Amino acid sequence: MATIAQREAAPGGLWSRMSLGQKQVMWAWGFLAVPLIFYAVIRFWPTFQAFYLSVTDWTITRPASFVGLENYKRLLADPLFWQVFRNTFMYLILGTPISLGISFVVAYYLDRVRFMHAFIRALYFLPFLTTAAAMAWVWRWFYQPVPIGVINDFLASFGIPQQPFLRSTTQALPAVLAPAVWAGLGFQIIIFLAGLRAIPVTYYEAARIDGLSEGAILRKITLPLLKPTLVFLVVFSSIGFLRIFDQVYNINSNDPGGPLNSTKPLVLMIYQTAFSSYEMGYAAAQTVVLFMILLVISLVQLRIMRDR
Amino acid sequence: MATIELDRLVKRYGQTTVVHGIDLSIQDGEFVVLVGPSGCGKSTTLRMIAGLEEISGGEIRIDGRVVNNLQPKDRNIAMVFQNYAIYPHMSVAENIAFGLYRSKLTKDEKRRRVEQAAETLGLSQLLERRPSALSGGQRQRVAIGRAMVRDPAAFLFDEPLSNLDAQLRTQMRIEIKRLHHRLGTTSVFVTHDQVEAMTMADRIVVMRDGHILQVGTPLDLYEKPVDVFTARFIGSPTMNLMPASLREGGAELSLGGTIEVPRSSPKTSDILVGVRPQDLVPTAGARGLSVTGTVAVVETLGSETFVHIENSGQTIIGSAPGRQIPRIGDKLTLHAPAERLYYFDKVTEKALTAP
Repeated sequence: MATIAQREAAPGGLWSRMSLGQKQVMWAWGFLAVPLIFYAVIRFWPTFQAFYLSVTDWTITRPASFVGLENYKRLLADPLFWQVFRNTFMYLILGTPISLGISFVVAYYLDRVRFMHAFIRALYFLPFLTTAAAMAWVWRWFYQPVPIGVINDFLASFGIPQQPFLRSTTQALPAVLAPAVWAGLGFQIIIFLAGLRAIPVTYYEAARIDGLSEGAILRKITLPLLKPTLVFLVVFSSIGFLRIFDQVYNINSNDPGGPLNSTKPLVLMIYQTAFSSYEMGYAAAQTVVLFMILLVISLVQLRIMRDR
Repeated sequence: MATIELDRLVKRYGQTTVVHGIDLSIQDGEFVVLVGPSGCGKSTTLRMIAGLEEISGGEIRIDGRVVNNLQPKDRNIAMVFQNYAIYPHMSVAENIAFGLYRSKLTKDEKRRRVEQAAETLGLSQLLERRPSALSGGQRQRVAIGRAMVRDPAAFLFDEPLSNLDAQLRTQMRIEIKRLHHRLGTTSVFVTHDQVEAMTMADRIVVMRDGHILQVGTPLDLYEKPVDVFTARFIGSPTMNLMPASLREGGAELSLGGTIEVPRSSPKTSDILVGVRPQDLVPTAGARGLSVTGTVAVVETLGSETFVHIENSGQTIIGSAPGRQIPRIGDKLTLHAPAERLYYFDKVTEKALTAP
C-alpha cells in the first residue's frame, strides 16, 4: 500500500495535482484550440484585415495609408455601385422565391413517388455537383441565336421571334439567373425532402380522419411544420444569390457583368476593382458593404420567420 | 354510436397475407379490445376500420353500411394514435377544435364544444398552452379531446397508452374507461398489453398471425381459454404448463404423480396440464395437483409472493401469502384444486373440451 501511494505522489507534476474537473477543462480547451486557431487565422484575421484595408488607399504598388471614410464616400457617389446594388437585389428578389417555389413543388411531389425515388433525386442533385464554369458555358450555348441556340431554335419552330437573351440589357439578368436557380435546385430539394420526411405520418393520418382536404393539409400542417427547413433555406439561398459571382462571370466571359453592367453583381464589382484596377482599399470597402448587407438581411429574415 | 361488423376481412401486402379473413361483430356502445403480440394484425385491422389501409378482401360495415370504399372522413370515426398526433404548432384549444374542422357548426358552438371536451378531460386550464408544455398524459388527453368533440360513431384507439410511463398508463386506463361509461360510444382499442385488455374491455379479441383465436369477456378468457396461446397470454405471471400422459383413470405427470382427469376419453394421450400461479399454493387440498420442487426464485410483491420452484429442469411458478416467504433452496410442495386445472392437447395446443 505504502509503495503505491508513494508512486502516485511521486511525479508531483502540475497535471497530477489537478482535480478531475480541471483536467476535463484542459482536455476540452486542448481540442477546441485546433478549430479556434484555424478560425482565428483563416477567418477572423482576414475579416479584420478587410475592415482595416477599407479605410486605406492600398493599391498594391504603393503602401497603405489611412484615408478615413474616403472609400465609402466614393462608393456612395459611384453610379456603377448603385447599378450593381440594384442588380444584386434583383438576383435576390427573383432568385430566392423562384428557386424555393420550384424546389418545394418538386420535393412535395417527389416525396410521394416510390418508383425510382433515389434515382430521380440523384438526377435533381446532379447540377449541384457540376462546376459553375462548365454549366455557364452550356447555358451560353443554349442562349445563342438560331441555328446554334437550342432555346431560340425551339422558339423559332413555333414562329416566335428571336430573343437576344444575353445581349439584351433587360433579358440578360434573368438569363444569367436561370442557370443559377437550376444549379441550386438539387440541394434545396434534398433539404425539403428531409424536412418533409421528418413530419410524422400520423399527423397526416389524423388529418385525413378529421376530413382535411389535400390543400388544407398542406396549409395547416405541412407548411407550418416545415418552417425550420424553410427558414434555413431562405437564409441560405438569399446569401447564395447576394454572393452570386461565378455564374455571371463565366456566362459572359468577354464582358463579365455586361452588357452595360446590366448583370454585374456586387461580388463581381469587388473582383474587378481588386484584381483589374488593383484598388485594394476601395475593393475592401465594397466587401465591408456586402458583409453588412448579408448580415442585415440574414438577421431580418431570421427575426421575421422566427416570430411568425 | 354504431355497430361495427367485420366480415371475412382480409389484408394482403403483395404476396403476404397479414389478416386472414376475420369475422367480428361489435355491438353498439361496446368497448372491444384487440390484443395480441406485435405483428398479429391487430393494428392493421384497426387501420382498415379507420380507412387508413385499403381492404384486400371481405367487408367492413359501420351501422350496417358497407364502408370499404369510403374515405376515412366519411366513416364518422375518430382515432387516437400512439404518438398522440397532436400538432406542435397549435395550442391545445386549436388542436381539439381541429376535430371539428369539417363541421358546419357556428364559431360559438365550436368553442362551446371545445370547452366542454376540455372540461370533461380536465384540460380547461391548459387550453392556451402549446403541446410542448404538456406532459405525456395531458397530450394524450388532448388527442382524446380532438376525437371527442366531433361526437363520432366510434372511437378507435391505436395503442394510446404505450408511450406513457407505468403510473400514468394505469391512470389513463381508468380515465378512458370512465369516459367510455359516460359517453357510451362504441370503442375499439388495440394493445399488446394483456393487463390493459383485461381491465378495460367489455370483450377481448385475442389475435395471432392474422387470425382471431378467441373472443370473449375478460373472465371468459381467463377461465376458459381455448388454447395454450390464449391461456399463457392472459394472466400474469403466465400459466404453468406441465406435460402429462393419459392413463386409465387419470393422467401421469412427467414431474411425477398422477391426477384425476374429469374428462371423457380424449383422442390423444399426450396432454398439457395448466395451472395459474395464483391457484398453486402451499396449503394442501383434498384432491388435485401436488408439485414438489426446490425453491429457486422468490418474488415478493407484498400482497402475495410468487415462488419459482424447480423440478426435473422445469420451473413452476406458484404463489404464497404475502408474509409467508419461503427460503431459496428449501423443498416446497404446492397444491392446486382439481377444478382450477386446465387441460390442453399437446399437439394441437387446443383446450380439451369438457364432456
